Amino acid sequence: MAKSLLIISRQAPWSGPSAREALDIALAGGAFDLPLGMLFMDDGVFQLAAAQQPASLQLKDLAANLQALPMFGVEKLFVCAHSVAERGLDPASLSLPVEVLDDAALAALIGRYDQVVTL
Amino acid sequence: MKFAIAVFSPAHAPSSRRALRFAEAALAGGHQIARLFFYQDGVHSASANVVTPQDELDVAAQWRAFIEGNQLDAVVCIAAALRRGVLDATEANRYQRPAVNLPAPWELSGLGQLHEAAQVADRLVCFGGD
Amino acid sequence: MTTLHVISHSPFGDNRLASCLRLLGTDDAILLCGDAVYALRAGTAPQQLLQTARLQHRLFALAEDAQARAIDSTLAEAVDYPAFVELSLRFDKVNSWL
Repeated sequence: MAKSLLIISRQAPWSGPSAREALDIALAGGAFDLPLGMLFMDDGVFQLAAAQQPASLQLKDLAANLQALPMFGVEKLFVCAHSVAERGLDPASLSLPVEVLDDAALAALIGRYDQVVTL
Repeated sequence: MKFAIAVFSPAHAPSSRRALRFAEAALAGGHQIARLFFYQDGVHSASANVVTPQDELDVAAQWRAFIEGNQLDAVVCIAAALRRGVLDATEANRYQRPAVNLPAPWELSGLGQLHEAAQVADRLVCFGGD
Repeated sequence: MTTLHVISHSPFGDNRLASCLRLLGTDDAILLCGDAVYALRAGTAPQQLLQTARLQHRLFALAEDAQARAIDSTLAEAVDYPAFVELSLRFDKVNSWL
């Protein structure tokens, strides 16, 4: 059976290619039909903030890549409740349908996956 | 046991050297390395154009020697490499760039190679940051 | 499944260690390397954090990094590279906080 992989994205979206490159790992794995999960935590939750306008920085929007996750088979999307609250985001208004997990649930989540990559 | 080792930092970062020492210890311990994969700024660890002052450790050269000496599969992510100017002859020609800085033993390929290595390995170990 | 978390950033001005401690499983361990070994400096907030996290036999530090930075702590078990490799196999997976 294929090994499951959890990708933890901790990078804010517009500070270089890091957030996009973390997403690319997920999209590449999805194309191979691997069991993948993606967790947004720390500044990574800013990737899910609504109404962002990266065009003002002449940057390509991440939204298309984020929206593509379910289409690439990456259906398990999670967000860290602590990180969301700490950054004043409303979990109900995030740009993707995600499961909001507290610290104990996050520990259990990481435990369930065969492999974890934190970027 | 089989390791997949992913490097996310350039040769001048401590974590690139740490990855190399880990890889050496894995082989010395009788383990195998399914693949080395270089992603994000890790593609700079593969650059043949790194010039290290003579009295400092040349980690890029050590990577090259380690890979050649042990005939390891060392893949550099093509998308991350192009973005950072790490090109083999084919890509330099394709994009009409003046320099080639990724000769053998390195191989440019896609992120699928990271996933494939992670699937066949017993452990995926990533190195990056400070 | 158990996880070996590897942290290499200094805890001063970076939240990786704090985040890691929040979601650390009861059988998980932490390996400090690079500037992360500064977390072991006596009398500091990060060291306090590690102490209260009760990580007996679950906290490791890469020996060369501790030595280079004049960190001498009994809080973490010092490991060399062969021991790092062995640790990565003792736990079910390795999560490096890049």
